[in-house]
Amino acid sequence: MYSKKTTIQNSAGLHARPASDFIGLASKFKSKIVIRKVDDEEEANAKSIVMLLALGLAQGEEVEVYAKGEDEVEAVDALVALIDSKFGED
Amino acid sequence: MMIKGNPVSEGIALGEAYLYVPFVPQVEQSEFPPEEASRYLEQYDRIRETARTELEDIRDCLTGAGDPDKARIFTAHIDILFDAAMDEDIRECIGEDCMMPDWAIHKVFEKYIRILSKAKDDLIRERVADLRDVKTRLLRIWAGVPEKNLAALEKPVVVVAHDLFPSDTATLDRSKVLALVTEVGGATSHSAIIARSYEIPALLGVSGAMENLSHGQSLIVDAVDGLLITDPDEDQKREYESRKKAFAAHMEQVRQYLSAQPRTADGVDIEVELNLGAASPQELEGSRYVDGVGLFRTEFIYMGREQLPTEEEQVEIYKKVLAQFGDRPVTLRTLDIGGDKKLDCMELPREENPFLGNRALRLCFHKPEVFRTQLRAALRASVCGNLWIMFPMVGSMDDIRRAKAFVKEAKAELDAEGVPYSPNVKLGIMIEIPSIALMADLAAQEVDFASIGTNDLCQYATAVDRMNPDVTQYYQPYHPAMFRLMGYVVEQFNKAGKPICVCGELGGDKLAPAVLIGLGMRRLSMGLASVARTKKLISGLTIPRAEELATQVRQMATAHEVEEYLTRELADLL
Repeated sequence: MYSKKTTIQNSAGLHARPASDFIGLASKFKSKIVIRKVDDEEEANAKSIVMLLALGLAQGEEVEVYAKGEDEVEAVDALVALIDSKFGED
Repeated sequence: MMIKGNPVSEGIALGEAYLYVPFVPQVEQSEFPPEEASRYLEQYDRIRETARTELEDIRDCLTGAGDPDKARIFTAHIDILFDAAMDEDIRECIGEDCMMPDWAIHKVFEKYIRILSKAKDDLIRERVADLRDVKTRLLRIWAGVPEKNLAALEKPVVVVAHDLFPSDTATLDRSKVLALVTEVGGATSHSAIIARSYEIPALLGVSGAMENLSHGQSLIVDAVDGLLITDPDEDQKREYESRKKAFAAHMEQVRQYLSAQPRTADGVDIEVELNLGAASPQELEGSRYVDGVGLFRTEFIYMGREQLPTEEEQVEIYKKVLAQFGDRPVTLRTLDIGGDKKLDCMELPREENPFLGNRALRLCFHKPEVFRTQLRAALRASVCGNLWIMFPMVGSMDDIRRAKAFVKEAKAELDAEGVPYSPNVKLGIMIEIPSIALMADLAAQEVDFASIGTNDLCQYATAVDRMNPDVTQYYQPYHPAMFRLMGYVVEQFNKAGKPICVCGELGGDKLAPAVLIGLGMRRLSMGLASVARTKKLISGLTIPRAEELATQVRQMATAHEVEEYLTRELADLL
């Protein structure tokens, strides 16, 4: 298993289009991928738009992305890079 | 027959009813023998592929039509269709529990609908409609029923439905839909939002519409007064044809004045501010046209829920609103509950005279934890903008001092915790109890600003219960006493150099703003719907003319005289 932490920086948080972009990217990998809120340990399947929305990740929230599977390192690195890119917001 | 409804998108339409009955899935619990599992899994895959093709077709068609916003709804539906967690659950239900695909789809979608319904963000909760939509699509394909939508109507009609899904409203042919009438749905529902963005008159919450109306029946939809008229006679049709024209002309004016700078004909700037009731995206859109928020009602945060909102939740909402307005003031009114407004999350004892009882600020004093949480949240959010905090139902100087002490305490707590807040937060009061109105000279020394709540001020000054239909004739906002009382308040606050505003109904009234300006008021706050009309009125006025109105009105004997006089005097500006 491989994991990395980061902070949501875009102002809209992981809603709407950013959420859609996020699961779109996650679905390209074979590994099981989970995104977890660091403060209350709630987590969601990173390939599930519904669970991701229910998690309600807002700007400033610290998250951990972890994956298990053949492409776990690439998956986590790519998803964290996407979050850090602020989904092209600015 | 006349039926009442909730006019969520203003306008008037005359036309024939088109009863739209979308596919209603019938699902029953049913299983199959285990050896058939792979066959049913294949069927599920086929249903999903068909759904994907349908959704992609709609999306591409909308994109081609230059409507990327609506195309996005269908991209979201495709995301839901291929949701990995739901897909896994559905496969497990079919493959291992031998549930028929329709039953499995139903069960799993309902489970996720429940999860999403608990989200704290309104916008996310509203996505539940998308889940239901996708579920219905899958079950319809399973049942072998072809797609039916509002994209191909033969002639212009009034669409009548129990409810409309996002896919129905997004694909509807706006040139053929004269109006929308649905049995369910509120002002923030999908149907309402689409209707407003298309400027289609919409009447929602018309109970029994599907049962009582028939295909092709002649209808008048009055989405101004919230009325549906069936089988109108010729007189009614003529009347509404002319009202429809008048409404179109009015809307034309609205467009012209909405973004205008509110300035009198002789060059005095008047600040026009917004009353916010839900901080919804539609309401916040109004921020472009106003100088700030004169009244941010915070009750909605407490409504329709079983637990009190946390400090964090409130901080988030307040920050969003403050950030939207930047340097412009946002006047946050602390919890104004009791009287006619009840909460699920707060048990309130029954009172003989709730309007004279333990409400608003009094209730906050009575429940200091609730008050404290709100004040802390507001202060924490203050770093994001220009926050003014306003206390409702203030009756005495004691009330003001006590409320200020609560703020001081909250600030001391935040200081001790090292949590930042803006040092420039202003503190003010609502003037809605006559006793404080008559103390305006001293109150103005004690606060940074005030705002007159004309609805309650009128109720308390005229001793009329606004909720009692038997005494409505005694509730007179144009009562000369109201203008005398407000005149005194404005004078005292202007003398003290403290901002004074009107945020009640009179602030956005058709006639009253002219008098208020004449009394010396330079700030008015109102719902977005009144902004354009009020700006038009302001732009035609001169200060001497407004002052003359104010002088005359204060000498009159009855509310009726005042109304007649103003209607006559202001006829050229309406």
